[in-house]
Amino acid sequence: MAAPIEGPEVLTGLLDAARSGDLAAFELLMRRHERMVLATALRLLGRIEDAQDASQEVFLRLYRNLSKVAGTQNLPGWIYRVTVNVCRDFQRRRPEVVFAADLSEFVSPGVDPQQAATDAERSRALDMSLRLLSEKERAALVLRDLEGLPTEQVAAILGTSQATVRSQIFKARIKMRGFMERYFRRRV
Amino acid sequence: MNCNEWEERIALHASGDLSPDEAVPVERHLSACADCRGFIEELREDLRLLRLAHAQPIAEAHFTAVRARVLERLNVTRRPWWRGRWVYGLAALAAVLAIVMATRSKQIPAGVAPDQASVAPVQAAPVQAPRATPPPATVRRPRPSRLLASSASGLRHAEPMVVKLMTNDPDVVIYWIADK
Repeated sequence: MAAPIEGPEVLTGLLDAARSGDLAAFELLMRRHERMVLATALRLLGRIEDAQDASQEVFLRLYRNLSKVAGTQNLPGWIYRVTVNVCRDFQRRRPEVVFAADLSEFVSPGVDPQQAATDAERSRALDMSLRLLSEKERAALVLRDLEGLPTEQVAAILGTSQATVRSQIFKARIKMRGFMERYFRRRV
Repeated sequence: MNCNEWEERIALHASGDLSPDEAVPVERHLSACADCRGFIEELREDLRLLRLAHAQPIAEAHFTAVRARVLERLNVTRRPWWRGRWVYGLAALAAVLAIVMATRSKQIPAGVAPDQASVAPVQAAPVQAPRATPPPATVRRPRPSRLLASSASGLRHAEPMVVKLMTNDPDVVIYWIADK
């Protein structure tokens, strides 16, 4: 995983150096934000190959727009916004979201096998339920529930109001729950 | 108020998206409604498992691959033009064409037009007849074949020659201007 680089002054220095064409500084900037970008892209797109392509595009856009990124405090929000936009472009080119990960490997260790199997099945169904969500609902759910961002920041990233984000999150959760009920009712 | 009307607030309350003032009546309803308690517990479990599934670390190789691809693209973008691969191919092509042109210019007899596709004059002005000759015929626009013949004559009068090289890249056209 990326080496942590702490402190806003360090980030400011990296930004200044990257703006002046220092690729080593830009690489450090990438390392600092790559988990955020790739994980968000993977959650939105569902496939690691697509997430890699999207991440590449996000960082190329960052490099081209270094002069426009005002300050270090805005940088994560800017990167999230570009990530969501890039993933939206990808989804429009390839509307079918594929969640191909084998979620059985994601079950916590130490859980009894039967419970583990149930959790794995439920996780798989949950991931499938993400396909039912609209583009905006999925983005709101990923940023709020998986990235753990506050509603205010999610609204800023998506360029909408907090009320709209709350509505999208509510609809997304209800759709997921409805899918889960239908899925397990059919399986029983 | 029936349970359907509580659905939105319960869904938001499941992950703490209600303000404290909004949460109070929801909590009150939950304490009195077993169905809604079951509903919010299921929602919370869904969110817990979804977070768990997506909390798994992504393999370092994926980050490395993205970094490498980005840096490769940036290095190509920043490479000076004389280090581009196309320059070498272009230089070789220009050298070959220069040799061909030099060879052909020796072989072309006087008055014979060179290949239209490869050589054209900068100015297609017809050669003026000397004053001592009889009155010239009516001035007419020369036909293309005449023009080329005149061009060949023009070459002998030290007019610069322009060679236009078309490459596979439509944005790259090379003009080679050679003085006789």
